[in-house]
Amino acid sequence: MARSKELVPGIGRLSRSQVFAKRGLFKGQKKSTAPASEAKPETIEKTIGGEKNGGKRLIPTVKAPRFYPAEDVSKPKKSRKSPKAPSLRPSITPGTILILLAGRYRGKRVVFLKQLTSGLLLVTGPYKVNGVPLRRVNQAYVIATSTMVDISELKLDAKFDDSYFAKPSTKSSSSAEEEFFEDGKPKAKQPIAESKAADQKAVDSALLASIKKTENLSKYLKASWGLSKGQFAHQLVF
Amino acid sequence: MGSTRLYSKGRVLGHKRAKRNSRPNTSLIQIEGVANKEDAQFYLGKRVAYVYKAKREIQGSKIRVIWGRVTRPHGSSGVVKSKFRHNLPPRAFGASVRVMLYPSNI
Amino acid sequence: MADSNFKRFVEVGRVVLLKSGPSAGNIAVITEIIDHNRAIIDGPTTSVPRQSYPYKHLTLTPLRVAKLPRGARSGAVKKFIEKESIVERWNQSAWAKKRAAISKRRSLNDFGRFQILVAKKQRRDLVRKIVAKESKA
Repeated sequence: MARSKELVPGIGRLSRSQVFAKRGLFKGQKKSTAPASEAKPETIEKTIGGEKNGGKRLIPTVKAPRFYPAEDVSKPKKSRKSPKAPSLRPSITPGTILILLAGRYRGKRVVFLKQLTSGLLLVTGPYKVNGVPLRRVNQAYVIATSTMVDISELKLDAKFDDSYFAKPSTKSSSSAEEEFFEDGKPKAKQPIAESKAADQKAVDSALLASIKKTENLSKYLKASWGLSKGQFAHQLVF
Repeated sequence: MGSTRLYSKGRVLGHKRAKRNSRPNTSLIQIEGVANKEDAQFYLGKRVAYVYKAKREIQGSKIRVIWGRVTRPHGSSGVVKSKFRHNLPPRAFGASVRVMLYPSNI
Repeated sequence: MADSNFKRFVEVGRVVLLKSGPSAGNIAVITEIIDHNRAIIDGPTTSVPRQSYPYKHLTLTPLRVAKLPRGARSGAVKKFIEKESIVERWNQSAWAKKRAAISKRRSLNDFGRFQILVAKKQRRDLVRKIVAKESKA
């Protein structure tokens, strides 16, 4: 489906026959290299009955194929392309106030800090103001406003990268019931790691100082956004 | 308390059609406040959700969604064409749909 | 002739507001009536070039340049407009002020809209308190 970019989840841009033509499988199947198995001995010695047969013979373990293709089949080239991180929209610069459009914190106004290598945006509420923690968001789900917070004071630690936000891999329990209940009781919420809470505070403290400098800005971040009657998204200036 | 609506309202006008033949794989949608082709430009590519209620519960909810996307303007009056994951059923004609503001480019 | 109920007429010297075209939103003066569809308008002080314009795309305003000669050219029109300070009178009118306010509101960004929301809230609160105080007394 990579060639046929999805219009809608489940709907590709290209038809089935177009995808087939593009994949070019008729030129030969693409195959990944199988893991190297133990090398079998090429030949096996077998005893052969009959006097005039020499008694023993070396027999190949794999029979040579009886069919040889008359012409060489060209192998499709392996793709050496890898997706690049999407470029940032020019309207989003460090310190820009963004409106989140989807997800747990939809409708919230947050401050953009930087773009991570994966292309996701690092944002914070700040947590103290509107309850949005340090978080990664996709820029497609964000409206950039023209309002900025001065974040020149903020020294952003280099540790805030994609791996910082990755979930610790845990062994999946055998059943969902086991996952949610422990000794017949719902599992207690796991407390947020202290180091993360401290990181949040460190980032927020610098931000809060600059937010305070503008009147109403803190209130603005605290309030959530939404369209009201007679407001049309295409007419609004952000 | 302000509004928390994060989508524009749209209305399903029907399938794309000619005088006698209808093409149910494309639906026409009129988005509120959009009166010309230039305004419709803003909404191209945006996700559309047709949210409806059904009798039978699926995963504990009677509410279902058919997702789609705005593909192109239809004429010059601000109506847009859209494609849905499953073609909209005719009972959706006249119903309102949510035109989401994502994928955003502002 | 009986008195008409109408106050604004299509006439030479009538100040009009343009509703469409590149100079929409500006005012101009009718300098010559071509026929029952079009007139020549001119706005040398409001960057509206002298041109023919359909009445469909004009709105008549209560303002009028008195004694503007028929078919006056831009120089003369400019003198008359400045003498009668038409642009100032237009800008002072409630109509123009409302238009300015609307366009100002439209151009505000998200933060600006929020600040208005806060200011309105404060005003409401103030009014409510005073009314409550007065009605009690």
